[in-house]
Amino acid sequence: MKELLSPGHTACPACCDTMIAKFTLRALGEDCIIISPTGCLEVTTSAFPTSSWNVPWIHSLFENAGAVASGIEAALKAMNKKEDTKVVVLAGDGGTLDIGIRSISGAFERGHDIIYICIDNEAYMNTGVQRSGATPFNATTTTSPSGKVSFGNPLPKKNMPAIMNAHGAPYVATATLAYPKDFMKKVKKAGSIEGPTYIHAHAPCTTGWGFDTSKTVEIGKLAVQTALWPLYEIENGTITSVKKVKNKKPVEEYLRMQKRFKHLFTKEGGEEEIAKIQKIADENIDIFGLQ
Amino acid sequence: MATQLIKGNTAVIIGALYAGCDCFFGYPITPASEILHEASAHFPKVGRKFVQAESEEAAINMVYGAAAAGHRSMTASSGPGISLKQEGISYLAGSELPAVIVDIMRAGPGLGNIGPEQGDYTQVVKGGGHGNFKNIVLAPNSVQEMCDMTIQAFDLSFKYLNPAFVLSDGVLGQMVEPLKFPEKSISPEPDESWAVCGNAETKHNLVSSIFLDFDQLEEFNFQLQEKYDVIQNSEFDYEEYKIKDASIILVSYGISSRICRSAVDVARQDGIEVGLFRPKTLFPFPGKELLELARSRKCTFISVEMSNGQMREDILASIMYSRPVELVNRMGGNIVTLDGVMKKVYEVADREN
Repeated sequence: MKELLSPGHTACPACCDTMIAKFTLRALGEDCIIISPTGCLEVTTSAFPTSSWNVPWIHSLFENAGAVASGIEAALKAMNKKEDTKVVVLAGDGGTLDIGIRSISGAFERGHDIIYICIDNEAYMNTGVQRSGATPFNATTTTSPSGKVSFGNPLPKKNMPAIMNAHGAPYVATATLAYPKDFMKKVKKAGSIEGPTYIHAHAPCTTGWGFDTSKTVEIGKLAVQTALWPLYEIENGTITSVKKVKNKKPVEEYLRMQKRFKHLFTKEGGEEEIAKIQKIADENIDIFGLQ
Repeated sequence: MATQLIKGNTAVIIGALYAGCDCFFGYPITPASEILHEASAHFPKVGRKFVQAESEEAAINMVYGAAAAGHRSMTASSGPGISLKQEGISYLAGSELPAVIVDIMRAGPGLGNIGPEQGDYTQVVKGGGHGNFKNIVLAPNSVQEMCDMTIQAFDLSFKYLNPAFVLSDGVLGQMVEPLKFPEKSISPEPDESWAVCGNAETKHNLVSSIFLDFDQLEEFNFQLQEKYDVIQNSEFDYEEYKIKDASIILVSYGISSRICRSAVDVARQDGIEVGLFRPKTLFPFPGKELLELARSRKCTFISVEMSNGQMREDILASIMYSRPVELVNRMGGNIVTLDGVMKKVYEVADREN
């Protein structure tokens, strides 16, 4: 099978962005147009005059992916050329949850036939690991540093899938690069549904989270196995499937592998903070019926 | 006072802390992000506010809010982020609010890249946003000035109730030099004569830029221009280097001016009388002084800048097109080189002999 994202790009070894991009293209095939707002994926795959993309691809400004996708979809429809072509946004968490939320909200409200995939590596990696609205509770970043008086990011992660569901999207799902078959199945399903669909993908970042490049998938799996990253699908407002968590693991196993949580194990008071994160996982079990 | 090796972007935050800045609102962008990082690390420690906004627009409008409440607030960004802030900057100017904005210029247009450039000259010096307003614009050329001019920007923005810029570039932001720490720090209270401080005394103060009546808005615009005239006449600043006998005058600001200084020395070793005129303020632009130079002798100006010649237009207008103004420039993230400047110097010297 011809890979639609060519190797030779400048992403870090074990990069989550390029893995998710590759799986997306494997699921959808050649007949798609990709929109990437500013971020690691865009920078590493499109350095002028080279490109890794074997499908039509356009860069949008950081805040505009939803609008650019809307424009492409509307133009294709106006020219009667939409047919089966998929208009797909591959955006990061900063471009989706923070600066881009206005344009994604507009696109979903208007109901454009697009697939929006958020590659969530939980901080602004391209500019040096600053916190985003997706940064989890207690993670240290360059703008939410842990220190004497702080355990890192003091705020909970913004629930973006719930926000997209509230827009009345026909399909909202969470996924992870650690289970590529599940991810590709969801991307295919999103592609088969008319209207705006949203997939929120967990994306462990070796550089920003601080773990060995051989551990990307392992960490992705642990996020699911600890119930910190519930996998579910919502169709027309109703949860239609969840991946059950058998033999739930304690959150320590996930946290301990990442430097961004290291202070929780070295600082006084860390145990209580870990307990708070365990509570988030336990609540996920109840909310989504994971067991 | 202490002297330390400090990065340019860090020097901005040191200056801000000494200037009594108590609110920093920012959003990440390379090559300005260290300003945000340093603010996040140091502002909370000394009881000042740091907020990471969800976008550049949000950050500048947080500045607008804090400024309206009389606080000494600031933000920092780079090219594309400054473009996004322009609406808020126009509102600050229209509401006559003090605020400091730092622009660590990178290469454009569009996404461009993260290399240094001086292509934001026009969007910052000429206002950029909508309406008849101007920013006060200071142009550092060293890590020391990154700190000192941040302090000066706070002074001027509060003196004139007007947004003030520190217009720097990716080289100055990222490079490390010795910084002599400021002698004193200040932390003034909000000025209750105009600010809205959430108390009974300031209840009747009004911060707004809306004038539905055409004549009222015109009158306000004329008042603004009077304020800019005062600034133009009293706040301009520049530095001259070996200019007295120079027949070739390099005009350059920011990092480019550092290369020009070397060019002056090299040219003089070759017996060519070259001098450097460095504007330290871009609005007010020291145009009268350039005009005096143009009138004082038969000379050629060379504008040396990392843009498509945006400052050259101000030099030409200032000297009323009375002398040639050549251009040595680089763009796209490239830095002006000594060789590049010397090539033009020799060319001009040959032509005039």
